[in-house]
Amino acid sequence: MTFLQAMLLAVLQGFSELFPISSLGHTVLIPALLHWNIDLASPSFLSFVVVLHLGTALALLVFYWREWRGIALAFAGSIVRGRFSGSTDEKTAWLLVAGTIPVGLLGLFFESEVRGLFASPIPVALFLAANGLVMFAGEWLKRKDDGQRALVSLSYVDGVKVGFAQAFALLPGISRSGTAMVASLLMNLSEAEAARFSFLLGTPVILAAGLLEVPRLLDPAAHLALVQSVLGGVLSAITAYISLAFLTRYFRSNDLRPFGWYCLGAGMICFILFFSGIVKA
Amino acid sequence: MKGLSLVLAIAFFVIAVLYWTGTLQIATHEPGPHHKHAVLFAGLGILCLIWFRFQSASPSRVR
Repeated sequence: MTFLQAMLLAVLQGFSELFPISSLGHTVLIPALLHWNIDLASPSFLSFVVVLHLGTALALLVFYWREWRGIALAFAGSIVRGRFSGSTDEKTAWLLVAGTIPVGLLGLFFESEVRGLFASPIPVALFLAANGLVMFAGEWLKRKDDGQRALVSLSYVDGVKVGFAQAFALLPGISRSGTAMVASLLMNLSEAEAARFSFLLGTPVILAAGLLEVPRLLDPAAHLALVQSVLGGVLSAITAYISLAFLTRYFRSNDLRPFGWYCLGAGMICFILFFSGIVKA
Repeated sequence: MKGLSLVLAIAFFVIAVLYWTGTLQIATHEPGPHHKHAVLFAGLGILCLIWFRFQSASPSRVR
């Protein structure tokens, strides 16, 4: 992996992790389209991805710093008291716990198998197109008649359901933030509230994905280029922060359909290119 | 339910130790210790202890 490729991947990770367009799908498709000779399973590449994830998680923590501080204090307070106080931050904290358990369990036990089966360009292109259809379905099926709910009005069972929806993102090409948003929309949250829940819910997942893989950085086989990794992590954090700033503003008055069109179009074009052999998969 | 939460917590911590030491190999891809599995089950054990704590305190206002 050259320095330029590494920086482009860092930017790609920062943007696509939070936009509902599947970062993993893009990490498979873009190198294949551009004929980058990168071994996606090599220790050095996986170590680099760990740093990128940590950069993205850092951006999420910084962007929602005040919320995370309130959530952490309320969470700790409820444990110390041994009962719920009913505060907004506390409800959000336990919704995040409820939503993180399913994706944690399913991710741990099925991630390798699922990605081993489907992490090649043709199935990823199809899943990316399917991700677009999921965006359209979410916008079409959401209830438009009732008043929209606040995040804290969700039950913990609803939180678990959103957690299960996130787990579909184990399939490369399906977006974690997208499926979480669609599941939240189906529970009658507004786009802005669904996006906020999706980003908050993504923070422990992305952070854990990075932290649990930190031992890879110490692997002698990783041959991690220090400057490249540090710059990649910083670039990933900056682009993720910009993405958050844009998306939180965007979803105040817009919906998921443009991302649906992008995923459907990009997925179908990639499928045609790879399936027809115009671009070698 | 208090008893159940405590039993589950102990069970999860035991499973975590077994994965950490590499004794347990269920749903794994290669032999050896599985630290990620261990961390996850330790997390579940902690959640069960929190559940126990919530049931020990009163009054509870679980929704």
